[in-house]
Amino acid sequence: MFWLFTSPALLAYLVLFVAPVAYAFWTSFYKWDGMGDKQWRGLRNYQVLFEDPYFRGALVNTLKITFVGGSITFVLSLLLTLVLREMRGRLFARSALFFPSLVNGMVFGIAAGFLFSPSGPVNQALGLLGIDTPPKWLATENLFPMILGTLVWTATGYYTSIIMAAVDQIPPYLYEAAELDGANAFQRFRVVTLPMAWDVIATCAVLWTVSSVKIFELILLFGGSSSATPPADTWNTALYVYVQAFPQATVPRLGMATAAAITSLLMITVITVVLRRLLRREPVEN
Amino acid sequence: MRGRTGVGAAVRIGWLVVWIVVAANLALILWAVLTSLRDGPDILRHTVGLPHDPKFANYVRAFREGGFAQATLNSVLAGGMSSLLAIVLAAPAAYALARHRTRMSSAITMLFALGLGVPGQVLVVPLFVGLAQVDLVDSRLGLTMVYVGLAMPFTVFLLTGFFAGIPTALEEAASIDGAGPVRTFVSVVAPVARGGLVTAFLLQFIASWNETLFALVLTHSQDKVTLPVALAEFVASAQFSGLDYGTMFAGVCIILVPMLALFSWMGARIIQGMTLGIGK
Amino acid sequence: MGNTAKKTGRLVALAAAACVAMTLTACGGTSADDAKDGGGFTYWSMWREEEPQAKVLKAALDQFQKDTGITVTVQWTGRDVSKKIGPAIAANQSPDLWDQANDAIFGATAQAGQALDLSPVLAMAIPGESGTVGDVIPAKYFDMMPKDPAGSNHYVIPYEVASAGVFYNAADADLGTAMPSAPSTWDAFLAVCEALKAKSKPCVASDGGETWLNELYFDGLLNAGGVDVAKLSADKSGAAWDDPAVLKAAQQVEQLVKGGYILPGYDATKYPAQETNWALGKAAFYNNGSWVTAEVAKQVPAGWKFGSFSVPGARAADAALFGFAIPKRAKNPGPAQKFIAYFLQKSMLSGISTTAGNITPRADIPAPAELEAVQKTLSAGQVRMVFDGVAGDWQPKVLDPGYLKLWHGKTTAADFVATAKQAQISFWKTQS
Repeated sequence: MFWLFTSPALLAYLVLFVAPVAYAFWTSFYKWDGMGDKQWRGLRNYQVLFEDPYFRGALVNTLKITFVGGSITFVLSLLLTLVLREMRGRLFARSALFFPSLVNGMVFGIAAGFLFSPSGPVNQALGLLGIDTPPKWLATENLFPMILGTLVWTATGYYTSIIMAAVDQIPPYLYEAAELDGANAFQRFRVVTLPMAWDVIATCAVLWTVSSVKIFELILLFGGSSSATPPADTWNTALYVYVQAFPQATVPRLGMATAAAITSLLMITVITVVLRRLLRREPVEN
Repeated sequence: MRGRTGVGAAVRIGWLVVWIVVAANLALILWAVLTSLRDGPDILRHTVGLPHDPKFANYVRAFREGGFAQATLNSVLAGGMSSLLAIVLAAPAAYALARHRTRMSSAITMLFALGLGVPGQVLVVPLFVGLAQVDLVDSRLGLTMVYVGLAMPFTVFLLTGFFAGIPTALEEAASIDGAGPVRTFVSVVAPVARGGLVTAFLLQFIASWNETLFALVLTHSQDKVTLPVALAEFVASAQFSGLDYGTMFAGVCIILVPMLALFSWMGARIIQGMTLGIGK
Repeated sequence: MGNTAKKTGRLVALAAAACVAMTLTACGGTSADDAKDGGGFTYWSMWREEEPQAKVLKAALDQFQKDTGITVTVQWTGRDVSKKIGPAIAANQSPDLWDQANDAIFGATAQAGQALDLSPVLAMAIPGESGTVGDVIPAKYFDMMPKDPAGSNHYVIPYEVASAGVFYNAADADLGTAMPSAPSTWDAFLAVCEALKAKSKPCVASDGGETWLNELYFDGLLNAGGVDVAKLSADKSGAAWDDPAVLKAAQQVEQLVKGGYILPGYDATKYPAQETNWALGKAAFYNNGSWVTAEVAKQVPAGWKFGSFSVPGARAADAALFGFAIPKRAKNPGPAQKFIAYFLQKSMLSGISTTAGNITPRADIPAPAELEAVQKTLSAGQVRMVFDGVAGDWQPKVLDPGYLKLWHGKTTAADFVATAKQAQISFWKTQS
């Protein structure tokens, strides 16, 4: 019975998921343009990868998304949880905050080109507030921060909603008891919300790690709006893999592409393991 | 309301911030919808504005000439079929994994869970090469299969948690009645688990609706692409031909509005499902 | 419970039916793709179905199928066709015919020896005409292209020719007084900009992030200084960047930037914001490919008259070819070649000019009015490829990052050259 039930899913998973990962690992040791023969390169691909300033840049960008973007997202999400629990119209507000995470990232890339253009509505609004020299939002060096900002904005809504759903499960009497003890909103958050929702928050952190490394379409359309690749300054490892494997006008470099992909997989693994260690529920002091 | 007295100034500022962000999100959606009803030159001259006489023709053009009609159908097919297949495959497995507490079952559960940590870029080259070997590149079936594969870890993970929460009493009753495991699952357990199955379907549908990397790599002819690819290609064709911005925003709305509709209808379930998957 | 069981049963049946239906439709789809036999061929196009070029091609394909009985399976793939072709060839799934710009065709296939030598097509007679394909396509277009490993440069048969140039509105009165005739030197061009500046009219429009377009100035200036961009990019030691002519070209770009001649705000816009501003008359010049006239056709006000000139000082007009190519592993190269010759008939090819608003390689097909000057430049003298044919990774990894800083006024010409040299050294290290 057990095998009857599990084998179809297991088969699909092995063929469509596990085998490709293994194949990627294997390809990463070869030089291959996809058309000719494979040439054994051993670890050379990985070595070249780390000599390539653009891969290093892509790696740094990925880490920035994961850690800088992640820290901001989670701080904001927790602050919002603190605020949202007792707000009027909170269900509606939560929905509106959540919605952007259901929107394809390309839409934000397209919208930004209009909204943040020098004479666009954002600058006009800032002008009304007396800010006459607004930042050059879409200048090449600002694109990555803009992308990061967009990510934080969509992810904050997403994680807030999820954490809030967990907070809703906390029995109200805990809050009432804390209130009777004279705890203010922040203290109630610290002694009730945080420990009770800790498991969910910790899992969210792991989830963020994985999903932050996958970001792709947002960057693809944020930098360039014509068919060119977005500027190299904005690449993360996902973009790097895509550019190596599916270049516009050169031969594909599948060995390098898979080596870069495997590197990002290793990176996720390490971060996740460390994160789980760190976030393992500690006895909550107080 | 409880806790009114404990509300400090900081929290009030927080409320204000929340409402500003909420307003910005709503304004963005509204702007995209309004812009999709204006004509291109008008949009370029004024970014924000009301459609003077609504150009529904933008949608007609997007659907007909931009290929969005076929792309919408493809998105619905790829999303619907892959989600359905994923659940048909994952539900029995998740059920078995939730009920059998053996070493083998926890090893398999672990194997699925590990898949959650694999980003798409690892799979994209191998899947392309593999599908090309069996002539499934640029085919709806190929893309659907890929989405099923991608869905496996999360769907199994989500549903295992869900089945674990269903009391075993019902099945015991069924087995006393002499029902075999397959019948018990199909006629007793699945109906009880319907909520979880629907949630898993929704989440998978949303994920494949917005999925861009694999769609971009695996499909290219105009009758096979899904909406994100249609949009990306439409934007890319601006060079050499000039871009019709009204039509492009119509395309944006064709991607966006179904998600908005789905979310207004089933929002609570979507959020709850995501939490469920995470909480366990 | 019986009730729910029935319902579930129905649900499962429905699911099964749906799966079967899907498999059937999917199979239906594949079998249609497989209709390669019977003298047919497959064609992946760089155009999308709604684009004017696609309409011209479609009309020709329909007529071709009627005339010859050869069935053609077309996929309107769009620009990304050059990304799909390599992997498709790898999997032995390549189309029999595809099209793109010559540099993309070279980079994606010919350079790796994966493009078919189309010399036989040049010898083919054009249906209904007395000449051959080789007779109507000037040989200089082939001569400018790099050779593939087998020594052929006949891997593209062009049907559309474009040239990059500095475009302007010849009907603009301010511009007319500032520039009585097209400038022939860079200094003369800067003088025009200065004169416009005096009338507080910005000289050059640019979307700051559009590297390829903005680098067209540098490309033209390098050519004026006698630098071959292909040789520059291929030098693994980076020493080619030490050529004083390279520095000079960079300094000339710097003059344009530092002179404040570029439409303000350009370093913070996204294509096509500034292109639109130019079309609305807010800046005088815009350096782009000759397709730009078609790109902005819907935006320019009435009375606009296109004029253009090459980057002042450039020794040869640059040309980009859009044309057909056949992968070496194509299964049906014969009928595909037949179509190439068929499409080059005057009556068919004219649509590229009349419907799509672009120049064709045939001298006997007049260019659209707004591109007459460009066609004249192309047919008169020497031609070279834009960036001397350099395409692919080199630009985003070596040229773009430094050039953008120079273009945005954040670095000096000397610093740019030094950065690019370093970037090129590490680029070649990672290419081995």
